[in-house]
This record gives sequence, C-alpha cells and structure tokens, in this order.
Amino acid sequence: MACSATDLAPLLSATVNSTEAATYLCSQFTGISNQLSDTTYAVNNTYLLFSAYLVFAMQLGFAMLCAGSVRAKNTMNIMLTNVLDAAAGGISYYLFGYAFAFGAPSNGFIGRHFFGLNDFPSPDGDYSLFLFQWAFAIAAAGITSGSIAERTQFVAYLIYSSFLTGFVYPVVSHWFWSGDGWGNPAKTSNHLLFGSGAIDFAGSGVVHMVGGIAGLWGALIEGPRIGRFDHNGRSVALRGHSASLVVLGTFMLWFGWYGFNPGSFQMILKSYGGDKAYYGQWTAVGRTAVTTTLAGSTAALTTLFGKRLLSGHWNVIDVCNGLLGGFAAITAGCSVVEPWAAIVCGFVAAWVLIGCNALANKLHYDDPLEAAQLHGGCGMWGLLFTGLFAKETYVNEAYPNKPGRPYGLFMGGGGKLLAAQIIEILVIIGWVSATMGPLFYGLHKLKLLRISSEDEMAGMDMTRHGGFAYAYQDDDDASGKPSIMMKKVDNHANETTPDRKSQAIGV
Amino acid sequence: MACNASDLAPLLSATVNLTEAATYLCSQFSDTAYAVNNTYLLFSAYLVFAMQLGFAMLCAGSVRAKNTMNIMLTNVLDAAAGGLSYYLFGYAFAFGSPSNGFIGRHFFGLREFPTFKADYSYFLYQWAFAIAAAGITSGSIAERTQFVAYLIYSSFLTGFVYPVVSHWFWSADGWASPVKSNNKLLFGSGAIDFAGSGVVHMVGGIAGLWGAFIEGPRIGRFDRSGRSVVLRGHSASLVVLGSFLLWFGWYGFNPGSFLTILQSYGDSRRDYYGQWSAVGRTAVTTTLAGSTAALTTLFGKRLLVGHWNVVDVCNGLLGGFAAITAGCSVVEPWAAIICGFIASWVLIGCNKLAEKLKYDDPLEAAQLHGGCGTWGLLFTGLFAKEAYVNEVYPNRAGRPYGLFMGGGWNLLAAQMIQILVITGWVTITMGPLFYGLHKLKLLRISSGDEMAGIDLTRHGGFAYAYHDEDDQSGNPSSMMRKVDPANENKSHPNSPPISV
Repeated sequence: MACSATDLAPLLSATVNSTEAATYLCSQFTGISNQLSDTTYAVNNTYLLFSAYLVFAMQLGFAMLCAGSVRAKNTMNIMLTNVLDAAAGGISYYLFGYAFAFGAPSNGFIGRHFFGLNDFPSPDGDYSLFLFQWAFAIAAAGITSGSIAERTQFVAYLIYSSFLTGFVYPVVSHWFWSGDGWGNPAKTSNHLLFGSGAIDFAGSGVVHMVGGIAGLWGALIEGPRIGRFDHNGRSVALRGHSASLVVLGTFMLWFGWYGFNPGSFQMILKSYGGDKAYYGQWTAVGRTAVTTTLAGSTAALTTLFGKRLLSGHWNVIDVCNGLLGGFAAITAGCSVVEPWAAIVCGFVAAWVLIGCNALANKLHYDDPLEAAQLHGGCGMWGLLFTGLFAKETYVNEAYPNKPGRPYGLFMGGGGKLLAAQIIEILVIIGWVSATMGPLFYGLHKLKLLRISSEDEMAGMDMTRHGGFAYAYQDDDDASGKPSIMMKKVDNHANETTPDRKSQAIGV
Repeated sequence: MACNASDLAPLLSATVNLTEAATYLCSQFSDTAYAVNNTYLLFSAYLVFAMQLGFAMLCAGSVRAKNTMNIMLTNVLDAAAGGLSYYLFGYAFAFGSPSNGFIGRHFFGLREFPTFKADYSYFLYQWAFAIAAAGITSGSIAERTQFVAYLIYSSFLTGFVYPVVSHWFWSADGWASPVKSNNKLLFGSGAIDFAGSGVVHMVGGIAGLWGAFIEGPRIGRFDRSGRSVVLRGHSASLVVLGSFLLWFGWYGFNPGSFLTILQSYGDSRRDYYGQWSAVGRTAVTTTLAGSTAALTTLFGKRLLVGHWNVVDVCNGLLGGFAAITAGCSVVEPWAAIICGFIASWVLIGCNKLAEKLKYDDPLEAAQLHGGCGTWGLLFTGLFAKEAYVNEVYPNRAGRPYGLFMGGGWNLLAAQMIQILVITGWVTITMGPLFYGLHKLKLLRISSGDEMAGIDLTRHGGFAYAYHDEDDQSGNPSSMMRKVDPANENKSHPNSPPISV
C-alpha cells in the first residue's frame, strides 16, 4: 500500500497547503500500512507457534501409547526412546536436519543453507517454522520405535534415530515440501511433476510412510518377539500392560493432530479474494480440522463394528488404533477434500489397517505398535485417496498461482495427480528401503540390533534401564498388607549377572 | 475493523483536520493489536496452567504408591487455593502500581482493573506462574508432611513471599527490575530473569530446601551406616507423562513472558522480523537447552551408573528448562546448548552434594530448581547478547549485557545480587515458618503414619485398587486390597502378602 505525496498533492484544493497536507497524509497511511504488515506477521507466527506446540504434544501422546502397548517390563525402555527422539532430534535438526530439508535456494534433492540456523530468519521462514518442522521430524522418528519395541538394543536405537531424523526424513521432506523440491506441488520453478506435483499436505507419505517403512525393515530384520508366534505358527497376542495409557496417548495424539494438519497451512491471515469477505484461509484451516476429525471418527466407528463382527467383542485398543489409522490417512489430503470425502477416507482406512494386520499375521511379522501397518499402510491409502478425491477449488486455494492444475480423478481432474501420488509412494518406499534397510542389516550383522533372549525374557527395564517402571510396594514394607509385589532389582555397575532368581513379577 | 464514514466526514472539513482523520483511521488498528496480544497471552497462560498437570503427574510418579493421593491433592490445592489468594492480594503485592520498590499496593481483589497496562489475561498468566512456584516446594517435603502444614506454607508462599520477589524483578516499580520506570537501574542494568529462573524456580527450590532440611529425611532414606537407599517412585510412566507435559507447558512459560507478540522492532530492511521472531527464537532456545540437558544426562548417567535411566533423563531435561528460563529471550540458540549442557552437570553435582549431606528431597526439587535456577541466572549474565537485550528491554541505549559477549560485568553483578537476595528473603521468611511449624509439631507426620503411607492414614485409602474385594475367581492378577480406614483397627496383620 504505497502512498505518493506527489500523486496526492494535485488532488487537494489550492487553498490548502497541498504538498504539506499530502506529505502528512501519506506518512500516516504508511504508518497504517506498516501496522497491517506487522499484524499479519504477529498473527501468522502466533498461529504457527501454537500449532507447533500442539504437534509437540503428539510426542507425549505417542510416548503414552507406546508405554501402554508394551509389557510392563519394557516400559522404561520405550519411554526413554520417545524422550530421546525429541531431545536428540532437537540438536540434529537444528545443526543440519532443517538445512537439508528447507535450505534455500538449493537443488531438487537436498537443501544446503541454514545449517545451525545461520542467516535466519529469512523472508521465507521464521523460528516458528523451524520449531514446527522440528516437531514433525521427531514425530517420524517416534513411529519407527514402535515397530522395533521390546527387543532392540538401545545403542541401535540411538544410531537409527539420528540417521532418520538428521538425513533420511529431511531429504524426503525436501522433495515434497521445499520450494526447490522436485515433487512439490508448490515448486517455485515451473516444471511440476506431471504438471501437478504430489499433494501430501501434512505428511501421510513424508511422515507416516517414512516412519512406517523404516519400522518395517527394522522389525523384519530383527524378527518377532519371543513367544509371538508359537511352533504351530499360531499367533499369540502379547498384550500391552495398560489400556488407560493407550487411550490417554491416543487422545493426546488426536489433540495434537489439530496442530499437525491445520497448522500445515503455516499462515492463517490470508484472503482468497472473491466476494465473500468472511471466507479466507482461516476457513480452509477450520475445514481441515473438520476433515481430520471426520476421518478419525469414521475410522474409529468402522473399526469398532468391524472388530465386533470379526472377533466378537468391543475392543477399545483396536478402536484407538483404527482412529489413528484414519488420521494417518487423511493427513495427505485434509486441506483439499470435502468433509464427506473425509468420511470415505476414514472408512476405507479402517479396513486397510485390518487387512494389513491380517497380512502381517500370515507372514509372521511382529510389530508391537502395528506401526508399519498403521502408518505405512494407512499413509499409503491416504496418498491414493488424495489423488482420487482432491477438489479443484480447494487444490487451487492451497496451491495458488498455477491455474489449470490436475485434481482428484473421481472429481473430474484426470489421472495426473493420482500418478504423482503413486510416484511419491514408490519413491518413499525405495528411498527408505535403500537407506534404512542396509542400516538395520548392518546393525544386525554387527550384533548391535537385537537384545539377547535372556534379556528379552527378563525385560529390558531390569537388565538395562535400572529397574522396573512400576514399584507399587516398598521393599521394606513389612506390614504384610496385600498389595502388588514387584521386587526392586538394583542393577549396580559392578554387577555382571543380574539376579535371575528373584521373582520378577509383572502386573 | 469498521470504518464509519459519518464519523470520518466531520474531520474532513474545509480546513482539513488531517491529524484527527489519521488518528481515527489508525485507531482502528489498535483494537486488532489488543485482540491479537490478549489471545497470545491467554493461550500462553493456559499452557503454563498445563504445567500444573505435568507437575502433578511428575510428583505422583516420583513418590511411593502409598503416598500418591497426598501429593496429588497438594498439587490440585496449589492451583485452587492459589487462585483465591492471588486474586485477593497476591497479584496486588506483585504488580500493584504505582507503588514502591519493595511491594505493591493496588488491585486487591482486582479492583480498578483492567488498566491501560494490563488486562485479565495478564492476571491469569501471573497466577499460573505463582502456583508453579508453590508446586515446586511440595516436591521437597513430599511423603512426610502433614497436610495442615502444607496448607499454611502454601498460602504464605503464594500469597506473600513469591509476589514480593516477583515485584522486585518484574514490576515496573521493582528495585531490581530491568524495566524500572524511573531511571535508577540496579548497576545501570537491572537483573535479567526473563521468565523466572530466580523468581519462580529458586524461590520454590529454596523454600523446599528449608522444609526438607528442617523435617529431615524420609524413614529409610539413609541407613545406619549412612549409606543412601533409593526410595523409588512407583511409576515411570507418570514421570515421563509429567515431564512431557511440563515441556509442552514451558512453551507458554518462556515465550509467553514477552506478554505481547504484535510489535515491530523497527528494522525497515527486514519487515518480517519483529517480536514474533523473538518469541519463536525463545521457543527454540528453550527446546535446545532442554534437549541438550537430557542428552548430557543420558550419557553422563550411563558413564556414572552403567545404565540408561529414563527418570534421570527426565530430571535432567527439566533442569535444562529451569536454567534457560532466565535468559531464553536474550541469548543465541548455540548459547542455549551450552546452558543445557552445564545445567545437566549442575544437577548431577547438586544431587551428589545432597547425598553427602544426607539431605532428602523426593523430587530433587531444591537441587533442580534451586541449583539449575541459580546457574540460569549466572548463565544469562555471561551470554546475553546486546541486540537481543535491547529488543527485550528497549528505550535505554547502552545497557550492559553478557560478560562473554563483551558487555562488561554489570549485568552479571546484578544477577548475583538477585541470587543472594532471593536466597536471603526466602530463607528468612520460609525458614522460620517451617521451623515454627516444626516446633508446634505441625510439620512432619508420625513414623507410624509414614510407614503405613499417608494415603491410608489421612486420605481415605490407597490411590490404586487393581482388584475388587469381592473377586473370588482366584485369577492371578495384581492384588491390592482396598483398606477401609473405618475398619482400620480390624485390619489383618497376619494375612500373607499375596504376590502375582
């Protein structure tokens, strides 16, 4: 909004000192214009920061989900991996992860600016964007830890997690989310993949498939937990120790998803033009929160009734997993589909998860959190779903300034978007397999991946983490009151053989 | 933003009154600024409140199962009792203005509120801080303190001791505040404690230190040979839950302390850079300090004790946050990494010292909040960057800043004064209070009650009941019989403990 005094002066009458008046008037308008600009930055940064905090809350949710889904004797281990995800990810993403992902200007494969947040902030991104992207990066690493829970050495965990958060994941996010990325629908140069780019708005592929496929390789290479499949090949459920923690974690993930999906717009103060002044990006943000909600809800209900038919009872843990599968699926297209389409997404996601679980059972694949099935399988469905149901107007709102874009096949938009989605699926599977597969295999060959079978039977908490997570009775309580008895084992540094004869008592 | 032509037209008379016209137009924007800033501050306040939940879970998981109801009740009451006392007089002592340098004397019961300077969002935000300080102290004296003593010290701390300290360093009248409205800043600087390493964490930690010191260690914590016995908490899951919630809430605690987000820093070459950038940078320094402290503690404890311990890592994480709280807005991200690294060793060192001195603190609260809070104030005096200090505390050119950044000694000197003054004030207020309670036999519970557990003896029963009394199935499962205090004298001391 520029104001020129020389333009304005002739318009004022001769009796007024028009030059001075015009100068003064223009300076006031300039002040107003600056205020508008500042307001926009403040509003958008507030929006993005609070969205980042919500995405961070998903770490907490995933930690509780993981804790509740494993046996009590391994709880300390899995929670430590979740805390460290966030902490180690903070350092590695600050030092180089963000640079690989969003360094600009760069090439289509990987970024090369902003190492250690050098030359930051820029007009393209402020600290709020860094924090938001960090929260996403640690989410991806957390997913993988679920697949290899209960039987993986802590050192292996540290190694794969740094590699995933610091390199594998940032490169994928560069391809589909950076202004230079070859697969990005918002690519600044004009050679979009198939004239479209792959639409993965908040990361069904970039986050969920990456985490899930990495987990798949880890769990495949190290094999199932002891006792998971018996000699006849029958599947034995190794139940988690706390459904309350599973539900707590699931709800926290739902809560945080309101930062994950709508927050991916990154700014909220933006008009879409047109004659409806009340309709702008804030509307699209809200609509995205609604599609997210509907997909998860539908998936949860479908799973509830589906499992009732299949196994005969109403199971809250299955429903929670179904819910999360619905969210993982809608994540790709949450901003570009109608609410009714989100219901379709969730419905199908529930069956995709049930199907993937049945397949995993058949193949004797053991994943304590169903992470590869949920994040890998439902994430993949989410990308395909977007290629089918993306609506033309919404696509052009989310990815403006390039008219004539392809959109969803079932909405009349042709096959190009779907083709780009399929490319994204294949490329992610290929890249993650080519990086994480050899890493896990190498760790396996160096005997650094899986723990010994004695340690697995006793539980990793006792053998490696200083003791059990739960101590419901004091050792010294001689009152004789009936209570849970779990004997504390002190794993001193000089103790080479833990006391295997003490009665390790689980809850 | 409505623009009303009939309001504007009279201002455009033949003798064009441009000042009024422009003022009218510009005033349309101030509404937006108030709305944006209040939204920002309110949601930050809600996040800080979430830290109460986090601390409640951390406390619950860190104590033995038989005392869980007690510690959680203290946390709930912190928030509730603090709501009333802070409304009635705490806020007035802290931020009543205009007042003297020691204590405030306006806004009792939020009279004559809001003002030009502060709205209800500010009150709520400060309340959330006040109850955080009181919560810290409860950790030091957990598992052996009478509930009545708890009520008394908590009201006194939230209603008087803490507000006075916050007045000194955060109020525009405070004698040590860097934003003091008259021009006599302490050492020409004022002490920089942006979100309260001293005001909140040291106050809570030192109060806890006196309470725990006066009432002595828990039974069994140090045996006759003087060896330290670990009295482990009953649930690592709750410890992790609590720590993550505290981390989440810290994003309100630190960046929220800017109080407003819509503020330009006047750099015309970079119009995208303003207070919103500093707010984001503060969230980043917070994250980096905590992350570094967590990692350092992980590897440090692995070296020292031979295994990877999630509870220790959580405590290290929180120590990093407590330390960065003072300087989060005025240091570079790389400096925050240093802060977290050192905070981790400060905590490990303070814990070793506590053990040597046979000081028992169930939540390591004095070591973590007192020790790491102290380090955080010193850290700020060393690493505060000139440009950031002047952004956060504007309109006073030539301020001192961090010693290692070339800013001289004045800031560091002011930080040391803050440390000494807080230590002294909290000692002379809370020390005698705890001692008096002790002398009146109102402080510590009896040893019989301590062995049985406070939940059983004073709070109506255990927190956990994993097995129904009427379940005759004999299925192996966790068995914890609910004990009814009404029938307590009929309990069966000879029944065998049943294990799974």
